[in-house]
Amino acid sequence: MSIDCEDQELLEGFLAETTELLEKLDDDLISLEKSPEDAELMNRIFRSIHTVKGASSFLGFDMLVKVTHKTEDVLNRLRKLELSLTPEIMDVILEAVDLVKTLVSDIKGGDIVERDLEGTISKLIPYLSENAFEATVLAPVFAPKQQSAATPPPAPEAQPEGPAEGAASFAAEAAATAVQEAPAAERAAAPQPVAPAAQPKPQPVKEPQKPAAKGEDLSDNSTVRVDVKRLDDLMNQVGELVLERNRMIQLHSDYQSGLDPTGFGDDFGKLSKRLNFVTSELQMQVLKMRMLPVEKVFKKFPRIVRNLARDLGKEVDLVIYGEETELDRSVVDEIGDPLIHLIRNALDHGLETPDQRLASGKERTGTVVLSAAHEGNQIVISIKDDGRGIDPERVSKKALEKGLITEEQLASMGSREILDLLFLPGFSTKEQTTDLSGRGVGMDVVRTNIRKLNGIIEIKNDIGNGTEFILKLPLTLAIIQSLLVEVEREVYSIPLASVIETMRVSKKEFHMIGGQEVLKLRDSVLPLLRLQHTFGCQEFYSERDTCYVVIVGVAEKRIGLIVTRLLGQQEVAIKSLGKFLSNLPGIGGSTIMGDGRVALIVDPIGLVGGGAA
Amino acid sequence: METALTKVKSEEYGGELIQLVSFNLEKEEYGINVLMVREIIRMLNITRVPNTPHYVEGVINLRGKVIPIISLRRKFDLMEAEYDKRTRIMVMEVVGELMGFIVDEVSEVIRISEKEIQPPPPVVSSGIEQECMSGVINQAERLLVLLDLEKMFSADERRMFSNVA
Repeated sequence: MSIDCEDQELLEGFLAETTELLEKLDDDLISLEKSPEDAELMNRIFRSIHTVKGASSFLGFDMLVKVTHKTEDVLNRLRKLELSLTPEIMDVILEAVDLVKTLVSDIKGGDIVERDLEGTISKLIPYLSENAFEATVLAPVFAPKQQSAATPPPAPEAQPEGPAEGAASFAAEAAATAVQEAPAAERAAAPQPVAPAAQPKPQPVKEPQKPAAKGEDLSDNSTVRVDVKRLDDLMNQVGELVLERNRMIQLHSDYQSGLDPTGFGDDFGKLSKRLNFVTSELQMQVLKMRMLPVEKVFKKFPRIVRNLARDLGKEVDLVIYGEETELDRSVVDEIGDPLIHLIRNALDHGLETPDQRLASGKERTGTVVLSAAHEGNQIVISIKDDGRGIDPERVSKKALEKGLITEEQLASMGSREILDLLFLPGFSTKEQTTDLSGRGVGMDVVRTNIRKLNGIIEIKNDIGNGTEFILKLPLTLAIIQSLLVEVEREVYSIPLASVIETMRVSKKEFHMIGGQEVLKLRDSVLPLLRLQHTFGCQEFYSERDTCYVVIVGVAEKRIGLIVTRLLGQQEVAIKSLGKFLSNLPGIGGSTIMGDGRVALIVDPIGLVGGGAA
Repeated sequence: METALTKVKSEEYGGELIQLVSFNLEKEEYGINVLMVREIIRMLNITRVPNTPHYVEGVINLRGKVIPIISLRRKFDLMEAEYDKRTRIMVMEVVGELMGFIVDEVSEVIRISEKEIQPPPPVVSSGIEQECMSGVINQAERLLVLLDLEKMFSADERRMFSNVA
């Protein structure tokens, strides 16, 4: 149900706060399991869940209250050391927290769906058996059906999207505490403070609309919280910009009226320098506001690793570095899934079981290192395990078995290319499909998402000692660093994030393999693409025998683009070509150059993607 | 599109007059509802876009916005001609997107009465697709072909633009 406008602000506050608390909660709970004696941590967890409970009862979200209350009770017993923390209790608590998340995301989604609370609550109950105080308010006598019948407000106005939640203000809360023995239904139905015991109209129970599992992603990226300091800085920069503009207008009018034409060049030079400085500062500031710490994504991994390690019977230490590294919101949104798959792989395929590890002379507990760092204009995220590494022979054998490649193809592959087979859809080294892995989807997801972000994947493989997956992603997607190249007198811009290196080569060094022009480059064979053919440019320079090769990387693939000349590096703002020209292969957009002309931005994904599924 | 025509008619001219921008293309005169036209600009540098239909001339920078440019000559399978100082780009909003159309010359804005528009002749010789001709105006010694570009592109867009290459 959607919620009343008046209280929208209240509700948004609640959602923002609760979401934050819940995100932190997961983290804290995992840490608690590692150090159960930490009283401070325990108290923090208790406070969080208590705050959620308080806020939701204030707003009349009864289902939430019910779950959080029970969880709080269990936590309370833990806190008083009446119970000792076991993995079983933790599992139940985590399950309860998940349920709370689902409920909160329901509220956020604007409609409250009936959820089965009893399953989770009944798991919590046993830990309360010796509990002194009885939870009268929330005694699970109400069937979940009744419960949810109450939650869509049976408002007198009989509005299906009713105001009960919001309108239930202080009075409603007072009512809630006062009329403890009254059915929850009645309390929730208190849209007017004066009539707390308004008889609820029996309403048909709402059908559960959406299946569960949207509680997963609570993080809301539609609004931005910006540090006031950053906002002030921004205002300062804008002030500077205004000053520079005034200076420019002044300069122009001086010039037009013929005052001191000799100094104009100098002044203009200085002005453009300052303007350059101010705009790039401004750009940085705005960029920063779009940035989120990668912590937002990393936060959920300790939990995932814990569960996974238990399911797999492995012992794993997850070490996280650089979670404060910031990156663009759009990147943060996309990076979660690939990381989950890579971590899963590290645990499932990479790390050995404790016994195997001991046998090969390693520590019993495996380590997975997840780290993030800035490197120039890129963010580098690495997932490194100290497991058994990837055996290229096994990989190639599997790929052959599954018919993903032919013997001939295999024969022409370097070790790099063999590792790239991991990314083929349908590839899996598992004999059996389990609920964890084996369908050969995971790495394909990784590849697809990283491609979407114009990122690069590198694999460092040390057989016997572990594997490292390195993801290199651009910082932002709106303004990019680009390499300007000339292709037969036409200017194209290649996103620098995809460029690995450039080189000048003589055309004699090109070889033909199976109808494909290639270049031997150190230990690998690089397929080449003549941009003038792809883009159908007229030839002007056919007689030249040297040209430049720009090596671009898209996810795990590398390809060399043959261009006539390199023009330089420039920061460009991406402009869409509009919907009529949006699907051109190899063209990702356009940008406007200093002289006002349009230059097209090459889309390396489109160029490389031709061959891939 | 007929809505644009009816809008003018009902709102401003009480069912009487509509305004057309008239332009020339290979010595023929065409008319386009003035409400469709955003602006008329001189030729400027056009950046070629690879792998597009032959009539897409490229893209231009229109004050910070990149818009596609269509050559109406090529679109109508007319002979290519050199651009000269009378060549103009008519920027129009077609199916919600700004697009520029290159024409030989833009002459004037004329007012005609709705009644003067005759249905297009069943067979069109000049190669213009039947569907984007919405009528013919026969005024003393001039003959104006009324174009409906919206129709031309709503039909074409799906077929050509997105599936090319």
